Amino acid sequence: MPKLNLTRREFLKVSGTSLFLAGLPLPGFTKDKPPGTISVIMLEGGMDGLTAVPPFGDPNLSKMRNSLTPDNYLKLNSFFGLHPSFQYFSGLMAKNNASIVHATNFPYILRSHFEGQNLMQGGGLSPFSETSGWLGRSLELAKLPGRSLSLDMPLILRGTDRNDNFYPASIRSSSNLKTKLIDMISMFHSKEGSSVFKKVSKKSAQKDSIVPRDPASLAKYAGKAMSQEGGPLSSVIKVTQFDTHANQGADEFGKHGKLLKLVDEIIAGYREGLGDAWDNSIILTLTEFGRTVRVNGTWGTEHGYGSAGLLAGGSITKSRVISKWPGLAENEQFEKRDLMSTIDYRSVCAACIEKSLGLDHDIIADKVFFTPELPRVYDYIFS
Amino acid sequence: MNEQFRIAHKLGLMFLHDTPLPKDVKAWTISQLHAKSPALGIKKIQISTKTEPKEWPKSHQPDLLERDNMFSTYKYNRKREEMGLDGHTSEAAKRDNERKNLLGKLDQLKFAHRNVYGDDQVKLRFTAFWANHFTTGNIWDNQNHIGHAIDEAILANLNGNFAHMLYKMTTHSSMLTYLDNCWSCGENSQEAIWARKDGFQAGLNDNLGRELLELHTVSPTAKYTESDIKNAANVLAGWGIWPGRITGDDELLSTEQRHKKLYEMGGTINSWDFFKKTHAEPGTKKVLGKVIPAGKGGLKHLTDFLSSHEHTINYISFKLAQHFVNDNPSKADVDYIKKAWKTGNGNLDQIHTAVIERAISSKEPKFQWPMTWLFQVVRLSGATYFKGWDELEVYNRGVMDAREIFEELGQSFWHERQPNGYPLDKREWLSGEMFERRIRFADAIYTAGYPTSNPDEIMDRIGANETTRNLVNSLSRRKDQFIALMCSPELMGLENA
Repeated sequence: MPKLNLTRREFLKVSGTSLFLAGLPLPGFTKDKPPGTISVIMLEGGMDGLTAVPPFGDPNLSKMRNSLTPDNYLKLNSFFGLHPSFQYFSGLMAKNNASIVHATNFPYILRSHFEGQNLMQGGGLSPFSETSGWLGRSLELAKLPGRSLSLDMPLILRGTDRNDNFYPASIRSSSNLKTKLIDMISMFHSKEGSSVFKKVSKKSAQKDSIVPRDPASLAKYAGKAMSQEGGPLSSVIKVTQFDTHANQGADEFGKHGKLLKLVDEIIAGYREGLGDAWDNSIILTLTEFGRTVRVNGTWGTEHGYGSAGLLAGGSITKSRVISKWPGLAENEQFEKRDLMSTIDYRSVCAACIEKSLGLDHDIIADKVFFTPELPRVYDYIFS
Repeated sequence: MNEQFRIAHKLGLMFLHDTPLPKDVKAWTISQLHAKSPALGIKKIQISTKTEPKEWPKSHQPDLLERDNMFSTYKYNRKREEMGLDGHTSEAAKRDNERKNLLGKLDQLKFAHRNVYGDDQVKLRFTAFWANHFTTGNIWDNQNHIGHAIDEAILANLNGNFAHMLYKMTTHSSMLTYLDNCWSCGENSQEAIWARKDGFQAGLNDNLGRELLELHTVSPTAKYTESDIKNAANVLAGWGIWPGRITGDDELLSTEQRHKKLYEMGGTINSWDFFKKTHAEPGTKKVLGKVIPAGKGGLKHLTDFLSSHEHTINYISFKLAQHFVNDNPSKADVDYIKKAWKTGNGNLDQIHTAVIERAISSKEPKFQWPMTWLFQVVRLSGATYFKGWDELEVYNRGVMDAREIFEELGQSFWHERQPNGYPLDKREWLSGEMFERRIRFADAIYTAGYPTSNPDEIMDRIGANETTRNLVNSLSRRKDQFIALMCSPELMGLENA
């Protein structure tokens, strides 16, 4: 199918986006269905929260990063604006179906992508301490075997070996998979190899589906799958290239702005795909760190600390900007360079897990994030 | 597997189906470190008669200057297209511009050919390790330079010193572009002072300075500070020139005009030694306690210092052991490599020899990367699975372009990806989809590549183990046998059931 092939390449090269679906109840599974679905959009490279949600009410914003702030931001209230790339998201805010958490991050201050990404997915207490992810552990606690849609298995979903994945191939000269052959290969492999080939075998019995590869279509596909009876309860989409050290741009045509537009399209795709299941859904963004307050020497920004998180879904019934604003003056910045983080984003993730999977906050705090004293922010988001 | 193939599996790409096997395989492996490395390949696929691999023609291997010129021409043509100039806006003109001036497709084919036809398999495996260690993914359109960096900064320097390779990679356009250094200047540089006077933005970009410490040398265990990172970036400020458009706005330069401008900026047109004095940060800098002098020579001081740093030796010795010896290397394995590193003052021959010795003495299987596995399957079977260099623009019903193959495989040095490279242990590769690719590619190689050896012959030659033989013999169709053999635990580097 050359056409699909081309779209796929386009998707891989241009957007660097991948989709993962998880939390697929097994047939005959008797546990009550959890209250909703949870989807994560991972923004890899460090999303600039001050560009995405400019705090125009802070007098230092225009002083310190004029060239990074769009002139045509949408006004959310007397203090916070929204980047013009978020057209769809702004509509959801108007409908009380979306919120923003600002000046927030995982408690990680060392500004390494790889440590930061490991923490935001693993949810551990220090980088590389966990071999499973916070969403995978949550699904395991809720006793929901999962399935993901991707070539690899991202850390965030690891934590249950009942997880599976799916990602259509397009390889010339290869014929349909033969279940018997794969079963035989699986039989001769040991535990880990065998269990992975078993998943391939299971897939060989299913019909190949054609999924367009642009981020919005992927999100729509994920939303639709989650809306179905017995469908997955969780999905993860990854958007890469937020690491804009040079030529970051300000408006919707700049480098960062174009990526924010992708995020907006992904949220719109979810909305369309979820249909009636939108009412019980929550979608949240995740990034390893924000970016420096000041523009650097090459019209970009360096790795920072605090950023913003975007939340959308029918589970939200009142839109708001949740923030304990730290200020942008130099003495208010973290190490005189970054936006301070005043809200632990793990609390936000915990609230979304509590809402969607029906787990108790104390259990999430202890067993998912290993931090029994993790503050509960559920009421700020969902009441 | 017999000892020859067990070692070729771990440290090489498998003996070609018609090559005699060495008697003393350990001595052979070590001698491989000095094998000659011409870029071997084929001009055209010929199924009926066997094609003898030949060296790639010079016309298909442009040197760095030509690569820069082609890339710059490509970028200025893109600008002409944007400006709507006659002869530059049609689809045909755009395709022509890509075909004539971009090298990613050609270089990926050459890389595949080297790995399939090369007589230097052990060197190629070490090259892949270092190409991954010094990841330069395709960002800011640096596709014309990735292949050059792999061949000239890594493969060509495998018998030298780590410090030299580090310096050559750090100063290569592929790296300076990928991690944004071309545009960086010191806060107190002449450039920054001019810019401030005119109300423009100019200053430091710490991307490469940070990754030089975190990924290429000492790693976070060295507990460097933000100030160390900033100072490393200050040492790097001034290095590099983006080989694309070097002028703003609507100014269109010919190659000659561009060269004239390069001489003014850096005193040379050699992009591999390009230092803009006006962008350099004056004064000495301190990185991890070491004082680095100002000026162009400062970087060599820094890379030399970092390459012999205890944390660099620890970190990279572990990575080498994890890639070649075992997913969870023992302390003894890592210590052995560290010792060789220190004894030889970073001499790569000594380091690689130590890796070879540990990999041979460890009897544990080692899971192989998708690309390594694919090359091994093609070499073992004698299949012809990559197009010839003359067939780059020719559609082939059975065989995809090298670029497409790597894309479907989910692994390529030309992908747009993060600077930490591909994982060295199996954990992230253990997914149904990744394993499904192995089945499909084994199928495609059998179907479209016309292997010269059948599964029985391959099993006899490699001395396949009992499990592999039982698996293959449980199937009756030749093709199924071939797929099962290539996806057996033995050839994937996993445990038997």
